Amino acid sequence: MTDRHSAPRPRRALLPLASVLLISAALIVPDQALSGLVRLDDPGGPAAGELRALIRSLPERPLLLVGFDPDLGTYAEIRPAVRAMLDDLFRHEARIGIVSFSPEGRALAVAEIDRLRRAGFEDDRLVDLGYRSGAEAGLIQTIELVVPDAERGLVANGIRIAGGGLDAFDMVLLVGGTDFGPRAWVEQILPRLPDLRLAAIAPTVLGPELAPYRRTRQLIALVATLRDNAAYVEMVRGGPAPPPDTSGGDRPADAAAMLVGLLVTLGILGETLLRRAAWRQPGPRS
Amino acid sequence: MNGLLGPDPAGTATTAVAALATIGTWAYLVGARRLFAVLQLLLAGLATGYLAVVAVHEVLLPRLVVPLAERPLDHLLLVPGGVLVAFLLASRWLPSRAVALPAAVLVGGTAAFAFGGAVLGTLLPQLAAAFPIPGSAPLDQATAVAGAVVTGLVALSFVHGLPAERRLARVALVGRWLLVAGIGGWLGFLVVSRLALVVDRIDFVLGSWLGLVP
Repeated sequence: MTDRHSAPRPRRALLPLASVLLISAALIVPDQALSGLVRLDDPGGPAAGELRALIRSLPERPLLLVGFDPDLGTYAEIRPAVRAMLDDLFRHEARIGIVSFSPEGRALAVAEIDRLRRAGFEDDRLVDLGYRSGAEAGLIQTIELVVPDAERGLVANGIRIAGGGLDAFDMVLLVGGTDFGPRAWVEQILPRLPDLRLAAIAPTVLGPELAPYRRTRQLIALVATLRDNAAYVEMVRGGPAPPPDTSGGDRPADAAAMLVGLLVTLGILGETLLRRAAWRQPGPRS
Repeated sequence: MNGLLGPDPAGTATTAVAALATIGTWAYLVGARRLFAVLQLLLAGLATGYLAVVAVHEVLLPRLVVPLAERPLDHLLLVPGGVLVAFLLASRWLPSRAVALPAAVLVGGTAAFAFGGAVLGTLLPQLAAAFPIPGSAPLDQATAVAGAVVTGLVALSFVHGLPAERRLARVALVGRWLLVAGIGGWLGFLVVSRLALVVDRIDFVLGSWLGLVP
């Protein structure tokens, strides 16, 4: 609901409007014009390399589970890295099952599965394991059985042959969100299946919460900052082109636009602090 | 380009609607509150409709109605479960004692999952990792000691209600400032995360819709 007291007056709307225009200008300027000046990716950061190495170390035609629970509010940030990961997996001939435990994650999973099917991935590579209700309780149920009874196809049958539960998979890749994320998997699944390998892509806002799990190797790889996201996308795109490219032309956030946005944010912060300092100074006020 | 929509007319129309809704949301910046409110209601309506569809098609029908209708003897546990849910739904008209049992099961089950997972999955492994391991690299040992000291100071900042001895109060103050610094760092992460979303939305309008972004 709107709050009429907090709504900005048109006079004060100039600053946010100018911010939008500045970011727009930074987006429209061709990348070549800014080549080498600003980079978003972190080529020396270990996080992206760890995820890449992990996927490369998988056996032939691995069976993987993607726990797909991003939220609508933050998915745009990690979407390019998630698609790069799917490209990377398909390049390694992986067989993938996608399951969600949050309604928003399910909505985004449906859209991504539809996109992958449009790109030509059929039931021999991909299975939609659907939405599991019950949050943590539903997650624990999947230890025994993750494939719905009605699901048919090569990947679904492959999971059933391997036991039908979570230990049928060579690895679980988690796409995290603020509703349901890698933390639930670490807390609920690892104590029950300590040998299960978990790796995650998560939005920046979850980074501080998940970083300790990477240090303890409960998450064997974690990509959870914008720079690591961009580095991972660059790594995957730098390799041989996957047949076909499933990214849909997606790309990480533009580095110049991010820089402009950060400068504007710092400007607003500085202006607020200066105004507050002036307000606190003793003297007559108009 | 988010690639979620195809290049067909339906995809093009959906992209246009999404772009116009984005611009309508930004209209709040220039004081167009009514348009913003309409778009909020649209989002709330869509979310509610979606949740209802998910609840019926992905939960109630396949996991409750169909199993009970096709093989009732294999799913006897669903019967008492259904009765408890019915009690919760009818809680407004039932005596509070009748509702206490399903509420207790619900709260107890949720708390048991959360508490057990937090202790076994987070607290114990993180405590184990925080102890300096003899023979490990000096930097790792120093990091572990620093982590333990910071944790202790922040924990002290939460001590309330005890007689405030001056030295303890100073230590707690240090812990409080460390906590503030930590929250500040987290807010920094939050700003970067939200900024990426703004850039993505502007990119969507300029690129996917208007085709202005190279």
